Amino acid sequence: MSIRSDPSDPEVVARVLGGDQEAFGILIRRYEPGLLRYATRMLGNGDAAADAVAEGLVRAYRHLASCREPVRLRTWLYRIVANRCKSHLARHSTSDVSLEEAPPMADPADTEAEVERAEQVALVERALERLSPEKRQAFVLKHVEGMSYEEMAAVTGERIPALKMRVHRAREALLEALEEYR
Amino acid sequence: MNPIDPRVHQALDGEISPDSLPPELRRQVERLESAAALLVRVPSLEGVERRVMAIIARPAPTRLRRLTRWLVTPHSLVLRVRPVWSVALAAVAVLFAIIPVRETGVRLGREEGVAQFVARFPGAQSVAVVGSFNDWAPGSIPMEDRDHDGVWRASVVLPAGTHEYMFVVDGERWVADPLAGRYVADDFGRENSLLIVRPAHR
Repeated sequence: MSIRSDPSDPEVVARVLGGDQEAFGILIRRYEPGLLRYATRMLGNGDAAADAVAEGLVRAYRHLASCREPVRLRTWLYRIVANRCKSHLARHSTSDVSLEEAPPMADPADTEAEVERAEQVALVERALERLSPEKRQAFVLKHVEGMSYEEMAAVTGERIPALKMRVHRAREALLEALEEYR
Repeated sequence: MNPIDPRVHQALDGEISPDSLPPELRRQVERLESAAALLVRVPSLEGVERRVMAIIARPAPTRLRRLTRWLVTPHSLVLRVRPVWSVALAAVAVLFAIIPVRETGVRLGREEGVAQFVARFPGAQSVAVVGSFNDWAPGSIPMEDRDHDGVWRASVVLPAGTHEYMFVVDGERWVADPLAGRYVADDFGRENSLLIVRPAHR
């Protein structure tokens, strides 16, 4: 009995470059959740995040032939979306919807535990929003996306010692902000 | 900002076990880890895949349309002046020449010109031009080194206007033209060379 495994990224990239446009959907389904999470955390706004990810994926499709290492497609895609987020942040000095102005909506059907969790999430989101974009990116890539420093370097184009320093500073700033909100 | 004890960073980087920390430091590790865990879940956003697939299913915009869009969109240009000695080492030179129809035998449209690419890559097995004009597809515009002196050449008819390009050496090394004189940063952490083609018929 043969076990059919999911095609690897280089296999899917080769199919897309060979003209199988639909195969790009495999890559979208594979990486969209992480990319949306990253963009949401960076921009603090779901709609802006969806725009950044959609734009990034379209650009990725159009420039797929220039992806020199399909085996590292994940970091390549994050880099493109990170640049889209950077452009968005440059155009909008603050996030489109401040979390301060948009507190979590409690659904009457929510349990007490869910309401408490929503409040905790809002608190952490506010603390994250106070970080500079560079520190926020470092914290999100390291601790939310679970990347190694090598992968973070591939995404950001920064050197590893600089990224480590940025992650340290982000942790300190976040912890301080969380302590303030307690 | 209060610096965190270095052991907290070590624990968060997986270099030491959090269990080896005193309770106060362990609490800081747990606080940051639980904050990160709360950020992992985001509200689901439907429709991104459908949206992307619909866009890429549409025919690619024409060169003229892409050029028009490029011209009306703000871009940050990085201009660098290279010292003369780089000419001697130069891998590449680009001429933006308008070659009359009678010389090339090519019938050019009113909004077309011929770009001549000249590159010096001694020892290379193959060199190709990629750019916005061929969707960055390596291999579609190969360059030639007929006398094996390491100087590679290609002439291409292109729509008049500004184009981004690079060279692909031996199928894997992407190199910007060091003598292009004009560069533009792309989304992938590189700098593409800029080429201006003028119409053959004015």
